[in-house]
Amino acid sequence: MITETKLLSEHYDNPEFKGIEGYKKLGGYKVLGDALKMDKQKIIDEVKASGLRGRGGAGFPTGVKWGFLPKNDETRYLLCNADEGEPGTFKDRKMMERAPHQLIEGMIISAFAINSPKSYIYIRGEYDSCIEACEKAIEEAYKAGYLGKNILGSGFDHDMDVYRGAGAYICGEETGMISSLEGKKGQPKLKPPFPAVQGYLGKPTIVNNVETLAAVKYIIRDGADAYRKHGTEKSAGTKLFSVSGNVQDPKTVEVPLGMPLMDLIELCGGLKPGRKLKAVIPGGSSAPVLNVEDCAKAKMDYESLAELGSMLGSGAVIIIDDSNCMVDILATIMHFYHHESCGQCTPCREGTGWLNKIVHSIAKGDGRLQDIDLITKVAEHMMGRTICALSDAAALPATSFVSKFRDEFEFFVREGRSKVKGGLNA
Amino acid sequence: MPKITINGQEVEVEEGSTVIEAYKKLDENIAHYCWHPGLSIAGVCRLCMVEVEGHPRLQIACNTTVQDGMVVNNNSEKVRDTVKWGLDFHLINHPLDCPICDQAGECGLQEQYMEYGKYDPEMAERKVKKRKVVDLGPTVVLDSERCILCSRCVRFTEEVTETNELGIFNRGDRSEIGTFKDKPLDNKYSLNTVDICPVGALTSKDFRFRQRVWYLKEADTICTGCSTGCSVKVYYNEEGAWRVKPRHNPDINGYWMCDEGRDVYKFVNKDVRLLTGLQRKDGQNQELPSVDAAKLAGTVVRDELEKDKNGVALVMTGQFTVEETQSLVGTFAGDLGCKQVYHWINNEDSFDSFDGLLLRGDRNPNTKGLEKVLNDQAINNTWADLKQKLESGAIKTLVVAAPENPSLFPDLDEKIALFSKVQNLVWLSAAKNEALDGLNTNVWQVPLKTFIEKSGTYVNFQGKEQPVKAVTTIIEDALTLTEVAGLLKGSDVNVTDEAQKMTSLKYNYFTQKRGNL
Ligand SMILES: Cc1cc2nc3c(=O)[nH]c(=O)nc-3n(C[C@H](O)[C@H](O)[C@H](O)COP(=O)(O)O)c2cc1C
Ligand code: SF4
Ligand code: SF4
Ligand code: SF4
Ligand code: FES
Repeated sequence: MITETKLLSEHYDNPEFKGIEGYKKLGGYKVLGDALKMDKQKIIDEVKASGLRGRGGAGFPTGVKWGFLPKNDETRYLLCNADEGEPGTFKDRKMMERAPHQLIEGMIISAFAINSPKSYIYIRGEYDSCIEACEKAIEEAYKAGYLGKNILGSGFDHDMDVYRGAGAYICGEETGMISSLEGKKGQPKLKPPFPAVQGYLGKPTIVNNVETLAAVKYIIRDGADAYRKHGTEKSAGTKLFSVSGNVQDPKTVEVPLGMPLMDLIELCGGLKPGRKLKAVIPGGSSAPVLNVEDCAKAKMDYESLAELGSMLGSGAVIIIDDSNCMVDILATIMHFYHHESCGQCTPCREGTGWLNKIVHSIAKGDGRLQDIDLITKVAEHMMGRTICALSDAAALPATSFVSKFRDEFEFFVREGRSKVKGGLNA
Repeated sequence: MPKITINGQEVEVEEGSTVIEAYKKLDENIAHYCWHPGLSIAGVCRLCMVEVEGHPRLQIACNTTVQDGMVVNNNSEKVRDTVKWGLDFHLINHPLDCPICDQAGECGLQEQYMEYGKYDPEMAERKVKKRKVVDLGPTVVLDSERCILCSRCVRFTEEVTETNELGIFNRGDRSEIGTFKDKPLDNKYSLNTVDICPVGALTSKDFRFRQRVWYLKEADTICTGCSTGCSVKVYYNEEGAWRVKPRHNPDINGYWMCDEGRDVYKFVNKDVRLLTGLQRKDGQNQELPSVDAAKLAGTVVRDELEKDKNGVALVMTGQFTVEETQSLVGTFAGDLGCKQVYHWINNEDSFDSFDGLLLRGDRNPNTKGLEKVLNDQAINNTWADLKQKLESGAIKTLVVAAPENPSLFPDLDEKIALFSKVQNLVWLSAAKNEALDGLNTNVWQVPLKTFIEKSGTYVNFQGKEQPVKAVTTIIEDALTLTEVAGLLKGSDVNVTDEAQKMTSLKYNYFTQKRGNL
């Protein structure tokens, strides 16, 4: 039987874990006490040694990122990315709702390691319950002396605040988030300079995902070696996956990295009776789609998915069965990126709009045969040449849908209707 | 200094320069819209793509710092294809407005299309519709559909004027330039946004729909609107001048000029000029050739000096070239032996003011030059002295080298009232002046050339000598102050036009009176 490996989500189902008393009863804030007695560099080294990679999407090694901070006493900021905008992703929401103190403890430890006096949790505007939970937990942590001046007598001061976004996907991109936090229009900044050198208010800044920061607590609690026991050589630890779409039991699960995709599907109850698997988007809507052959081979870790030309992304696994029209799904995805492009960079601003128009033309039965190749051409010229990765995020699903499910696109153009559904789509 | 190889050519650039600056230094072609040397780097148009050896990905030249030994090109197939696509992304939603667009002929999109484009458009869908006529403020109109969102105009109001009137509203391909509620684009430098707009999105209310730029000639000169003396270009045709734009000068004006300076062209055109010499005697006005008017005035001046060597005075403004000033002041103080020369300072209260960017209260191009000439002649008469002598009737004959640009002399009418106390007024000016027509004094008016019709030197507030060349002739009968000086002292003067009058190259069907928005 396939089971979860619960590190972060161990107490999700225990309602007590949400409040500070229950959290402490279950061992909460003990790790913080120990960490505050450690050498800061030792914590960073431990995180490096653990092999922890950013859970927000790019999978960048967390300890290495922290190492980019300038070695001086400039004020630095820690930002927790709780914007969770990648379609299909809902793991951070669950953590904030069920275990806000676990995030806060992970954040204080991380802040101590990088010697940051101030952190923000940037939460997407629609997440009322998370905002409420985090605000309450922060208040409790202040009262208990885990935040504020001289935390647990260590001499370390740290303040934490919640910042409410307004629901823009682009504010999840780290420099877009920084602009938003600075009170500006939420749009990414040109790099270099990188945030670790010049970020929030021009000061060195580390942006990490909710799950990344919470994982730090467990790395310090159990040690890097214990953490590395989970997962693979290059993809260490456990990962929260948001599994959605055509499975019987869509939910957040925590499993070691490297689990076969088919096992993950089984863990979520498998497909509905009579349905066949057609495709999987393994890492949020930006990740290139996998077809059935890919799915059979796919393991849920950074390297294996990269080998299949896709990516682990935010760990949002969208299961697509044979009742779906791929043209229809791509039209929805393209609508999203067109809507969310901030519009600064010409290839992204115009490309997202163009792709959206072409795919919708096809989905309305107005497509031309050359449009199918045009999708690929436009998408290819949107990649790797913009300020942030949203342009690539829009282009990758487009090229992969067309290359893996070309027959459905061609059918639509030739017959003016969906190969799967028969009728016209929106 | 780091060395870098660009398209096979080696160039040395300053430490910390960007690759695009190295391209500019070599004068190598590189497509770009958002980068502007006077503004911060935005890196949004993604057109300035280059291939850097050792980097698999193309880089943008505007945000890549030069490193010693870097090998860069932008002429490989890969780069050209990328730029072609970058251009196409700019064009898919761009309207087919060129035939009715003011920018046509000097448009960044047209230019790059000729270099990288010339393909059939592939987009079959409808273009995004946006607002076509947005009144941004008193000087500038926006056509949102033409805007390529390079953000230059926004950065200009953020970084240069720090007035922050402009912003980009909405997102994605719905983005539009706009102003905030009740805060129009209204600052003294607003028209620079029109210059830096690479396309026809921002147009000047003053210039739009008036000329096709390919019918205009351009020439370098300096702005005579104030003592800063910004380097500019004037655009003109056979009918006169039509617009003024700044020219880069790192020592004086950088990339910019003020809006008022752009109006200097208006004072050179026929409609406001004195076209011939005028004599007003016993209440009768008579037109006569300018040379004759100057000669007649000269006779009066010399006769009056003969009668009373303290009965004649000369009033100078800082409006003329050093050469002209030297010649007229020299004629008076030397040849005619009259040292009663006075400096007319316009807008006395704000004369020494400065707006912090470019515009100075001294609205003369050559105050420093005039001061030096007066100094050399050991002349330092006070205005109070002149006033007293005019009011007492001690001065009976007055020669005034009057402003070329009367709008910059708010005290003009008040001064004319003072000057009209004399019996004989000799008024040397490029501008027509109706206030002189009703005077009871005898008046001789001699039409002068404006700054674009003569060569000479102006000395700006820094003491910088700026030579200019004659651009064109607008009023054939007009003289330089030097010629007038010769005629006043009774010499034979061979009057010439340095610049030819521009004759029509081709009939311009587009010449229009300015319409509504
Ligand atoms: C368009 C876009 C949207 C993003 N949205 C999120 C998000 O919602 N949450 C997140 O954690 N990271 C998001 N990221 C990734 C962040 O830029 C950044 O890499 C991440 O927060 C770093 O944290 P990590 O190293 O812990 O993963 C996004 C990136 C892009 C390009
Ligand atoms: S790539 Fe798109 S979303 Fe990212 S900064 Fe550029 S325009 Fe904005
Ligand atoms: S901006 Fe340029 S390309 Fe666009 S309509 Fe005007 S001239 Fe034509
Ligand atoms: S109006 Fe002109 S300068 Fe301003 S963003 Fe648009 S194209 Fe650029
Ligand atoms: S000029 Fe470099 S990106 Fe626009």
